Amino acid sequence: MRWSFVRRIAAKEILSTLRDHRAIVSNLVIPLLLLPVIMLGLPLLLGGLFQREATTVTELAVQGVEHLPAELAAAIEAQAAVLVAVDDAEAAVRADTYPAGLIVTPGFADTVAGGGRAEVVIVVKEANLRAELNAGKLRSAVDAYRRGVVAERLVDAGIDPAVLEPVAVSTLDASTAAERSSGQLAWLIPFFIAIWTLTGGQMTAIDATAGEKERGTLEVLLVTPVRRGEVVFGKFLAVVTFGLSAALMAIVGFVLGGTVLRRLFLPLIGQEGGEMAAMMGGTLTITPTTIVLLVVSSVLMAAVVAALLMSVTLFARSFKEAQTYVAPMSFLLIVPAIALQFKDLIGSGEFVYWIPVYNVMILMDDAVKGTARLAPILTTWGVMAALIAALLAFAYANFKREDVLFRT
Amino acid sequence: MIHVQGLTKRFDDLVAVDDVSFDVAAGQVFGLLGPNGAGKTTTLRVLATLLRADGGQATIAGHDVRREPEAVRRAIGVVNGGMGLYDRLTGREVLHYFGELYGMRRDAIERRVEELDGLLDLAGTLDKRTGAFSTGMKQKIVVARAVLHDPQVLFFDEATSGLDVMARRAVLDFSRRYPGEARAVVWSTHVMSEVEELCDRVAVLYRGRVVADDTVAGLKEAADAPDLERAFFTLVRRSGLAEGQEVAA
Repeated sequence: MRWSFVRRIAAKEILSTLRDHRAIVSNLVIPLLLLPVIMLGLPLLLGGLFQREATTVTELAVQGVEHLPAELAAAIEAQAAVLVAVDDAEAAVRADTYPAGLIVTPGFADTVAGGGRAEVVIVVKEANLRAELNAGKLRSAVDAYRRGVVAERLVDAGIDPAVLEPVAVSTLDASTAAERSSGQLAWLIPFFIAIWTLTGGQMTAIDATAGEKERGTLEVLLVTPVRRGEVVFGKFLAVVTFGLSAALMAIVGFVLGGTVLRRLFLPLIGQEGGEMAAMMGGTLTITPTTIVLLVVSSVLMAAVVAALLMSVTLFARSFKEAQTYVAPMSFLLIVPAIALQFKDLIGSGEFVYWIPVYNVMILMDDAVKGTARLAPILTTWGVMAALIAALLAFAYANFKREDVLFRT
Repeated sequence: MIHVQGLTKRFDDLVAVDDVSFDVAAGQVFGLLGPNGAGKTTTLRVLATLLRADGGQATIAGHDVRREPEAVRRAIGVVNGGMGLYDRLTGREVLHYFGELYGMRRDAIERRVEELDGLLDLAGTLDKRTGAFSTGMKQKIVVARAVLHDPQVLFFDEATSGLDVMARRAVLDFSRRYPGEARAVVWSTHVMSEVEELCDRVAVLYRGRVVADDTVAGLKEAADAPDLERAFFTLVRRSGLAEGQEVAA
């Protein structure tokens, strides 16, 4: 293998891709912005919306308002709501005149005052998020009123209200700080990195293989003194470069989302938004070790994807045909990412680090949670390196096959 | 310069090149004449080391195509009718890319580009991206790319296909001048007039076999025909390979 030839092949593919504006947008700009948008932009938007809905004074329909005790009416109004008397609360909510309503049965106040069991009905369209938020105001108010009545009755009967809570239950979260801040949706991070290695590398891979065949330049390239192995490796390096650049941009976006933007925007997104940001991994603790693990894992992921892309796209006769071959490849990354969501149920014994691709995603997940250990790291990297070698050997064998090269 | 003996190439049950033999001397333009599917491109691909022969042997500039493929590739240049270039590179970048793959230094490539500019009139093609080229401009760079390393043997495979009259004339004139005393050209085509104009010798290929190998005048005489086209059909019919096929008289 002559490195000057490999470098020349790679440099030409890189230059060619860099001159395609679409590649710059899809490889550098979008990966950089997408994770911060998901990690913080979405919570910023939704948190703001939740907060606005919680604080905006909303008109709520009440059927039988004359039976409503003053204490309950006050509790509802304390939740930023105005009660509007209607004849049919269900019809009013169904017609979207009000986001939620309350049906107070006749004699409600008297029944409660007499120590009996009265009933109220909360009316809401359950599939509507805004309606549910407003129904929540009614539920909170009714619950507060109910607890007050119970306490009052117990006191009247000479019983300490604490009798209702014979067992106090609390939960102690044993997670580390990094695990706590990684969020339930932190699996999205390895998923996006994996997907970007595919998205970032595919244009170069297709152009360098099926594209060359379609243009007729592959034949001209192969009649130069360059060796097939040098062609394969040069093109492979170019594909890795773009797959990796997209993944690294995603990591940069992730770091930005996790630190800089968090400091700037977290105070703005309110409690609801803050919880959502944490759930989506937006408050992760980034350490140098995390970054090294993510970068090395991304390199390996990009190399596996690049070798696979090279093998598959060379079979195609044209750019378009190659695109149809590449599309299903995303499933190879989506399936392990879905499995990653359920990794607590699947199990996280040492064997998972022997499963290619899934192992890198688990390792990335470990990295962002600060739980990565040396043995699984070495197993994962070793398995991936072996897979890269096997796929490159396959791509090289295809580059030597006449029926593949001249399949037109 | 080129020696081909009993060359055979099969694709599954199809014998694409069947026991083909011919010799090309230095200074010659040698024609491979035949219809589509005659085996011309397959023969050239075997000679260019892109395909492996199933039988026979061939040497180019003294190098065996099977045992010394890299030396053969250094000795040849290929111009095909596809005119494939890299759309996002300029003409100069394309030439530098291929020049470096032939092991040339950057200054040597630049000197050679200037030389070729004089021969092929590359003005307007060097610093513009090839994606914006006309067909004629593309063909100039394709030819320049093939001769950049000054190969001893130059293959043209249906090289004028799709060219306008001016570009076609430029390619024909260039290929006629190229052999000089120490180089050779193999001109593969189905266009009789090109062979008549250019070639010192011609091998007529049909269904993978050489049915005749002679000068243009020799072929006409052998077929007792007034022009090459009639001679071609007579020779194919006489070969017996066209049985079951409509071959014009």
